[in-house]
Amino acid sequence: MRMQTSLPASLPNSLPAGFEALEPFVDYWAGATNDIRWDRRARASMAEIRSFYEAAVPRADEGLAYLEQFPLAAMPDDATRLLRLLLSLPHAAMAVEFHGQPRAAASPFPHGMHIGRGPWPQGW
Amino acid sequence: MSVVDLPKPNTEFPKLTVPNGLGTGPIPIAPYISQAWYEQERDRVFGRAWLCMGRVEQLPEADSFMVKEIEICGVIALITRDAKDQIRAFHNVCSHRANLVVHETSGKGSRFVCKYHNWAYRNTGDCIGVPDRANFFDLDMKKCGLTPIACETWEGWIFINLQKQPEVTLTEFLGNFGEAFRDAPAPAATQAFTVDVTSMRANWKVTIDAFCESYHVPVLHPSTLGDTFANDSNRYARPLSGNVRGAHRTMTTFGNPNYLPPESSLIERLAYSNIDTGNTLGANDAADMQALQNHPAINPNKVPNWATEICWLFPNFLIFYSPGGFFTLEFWPLSVNTTRWVARMHTPVAADVRQRFQQEHYSCRMAEIFLEDVGNLERQQKAMESGGKSEIILQDGEFLLRHSIETIQKWVASATVREALAE
Repeated sequence: MRMQTSLPASLPNSLPAGFEALEPFVDYWAGATNDIRWDRRARASMAEIRSFYEAAVPRADEGLAYLEQFPLAAMPDDATRLLRLLLSLPHAAMAVEFHGQPRAAASPFPHGMHIGRGPWPQGW
Repeated sequence: MSVVDLPKPNTEFPKLTVPNGLGTGPIPIAPYISQAWYEQERDRVFGRAWLCMGRVEQLPEADSFMVKEIEICGVIALITRDAKDQIRAFHNVCSHRANLVVHETSGKGSRFVCKYHNWAYRNTGDCIGVPDRANFFDLDMKKCGLTPIACETWEGWIFINLQKQPEVTLTEFLGNFGEAFRDAPAPAATQAFTVDVTSMRANWKVTIDAFCESYHVPVLHPSTLGDTFANDSNRYARPLSGNVRGAHRTMTTFGNPNYLPPESSLIERLAYSNIDTGNTLGANDAADMQALQNHPAINPNKVPNWATEICWLFPNFLIFYSPGGFFTLEFWPLSVNTTRWVARMHTPVAADVRQRFQQEHYSCRMAEIFLEDVGNLERQQKAMESGGKSEIILQDGEFLLRHSIETIQKWVASATVREALAE
């Protein structure tokens, strides 16, 4: 199965209408794969993580509700971008809700661990 | 999930070490750091045991193939499924000048062509093409097939054996484990999210050991796992049952049935808000969970508050059954103090975006837990190699580790596999 990993770089109005307020976070946080989303969070400062988390959490349920109208494996580009952005929330939550710091205490970084395939149907 | 008759602290947990016929003394560190011991393991353990390669679903259709490297033995195995669904294994080595035939790690193809001189092979191993054959000397193509590796399957699991003539069948090797886990379900076996550690600096046994005792969980994984694997009734995450099964072994670990994401964990709560299993460490649905729970060997005492049934297939393959499904971990020695490992987390194809969101949270949590282990184990290897200690001490809840090292010692000492498998 071919992984869909490339989308056009974010454009003005790259998220679906109504989610413009999250636009500043797209470039960094709408990573194309689980591995990239994990790596981006691990490299971010706690202030950056909190800034994304606090902006996106209040919109998360609404965002998921919006995405429910599309088949998971065949979303329009703007919806895919929103999905990838929302999928970074669990990564940010590891830092905010579990560790209180960007990475787990005493865990190595950089490290040789990678997510080979993400959850399905996308595998990213 | 309701709270039913939780074991009382420190008094009602089953004893595991002595009832399973194991010793209670300290364990030498040498097997974890010694080059000479590593070479014995190469020849006597990995060179003679049936090695689990994964599931048949990793070869999803006719003419699928995968390549698996067993670095400790220097073997590169090409595993194929032919048009009649027969699964075979071969050395991935050309009969002409012994170059690597298949470069990919997996794919689909009924024939393979060596990129050096275009020698061609069918996925049955037969040599079917030799360019400019007339210029060779009495070449018998029937003798030019790929060199087979013994390969058998059991309940959808693929095994190979690197002995030219395996001394025992796979059934004999699996023994009591094979009988006990017959018909174990494999929900969502067709897909997995995977975690790969290409190389970490720890002996393979140091690495696998960390996944086979829950004593460390409240200490090393306090925020990612601690409250799910321990509570006031079981502060030290004592196991709920455990069985030695021939060369293999299994253990049921405790899960805290009262675990709920705290109020402040907004994303964890959102992720788990709509799953029907009540389990925050899995991703499968209630029907799959019930099928697993009904199997007699999975959580054999049918304790309500179980988290996982750890199945340790000797020497290096783990199957974890949990209320959330199953996942596997395989550990491949690269040298005496480096290890490659792979986790395959089998979760259903998400039916909707909320389930997909929950699975992302699950994958995040698992990767985070694994990374905590990696850092910890690299420190442990360094400390073991420092010479500060010559032995380690194991408690009752660490009995799987004791049975592992005792079994490895027995295989190293035994002249034959049958002797190593004798009770």
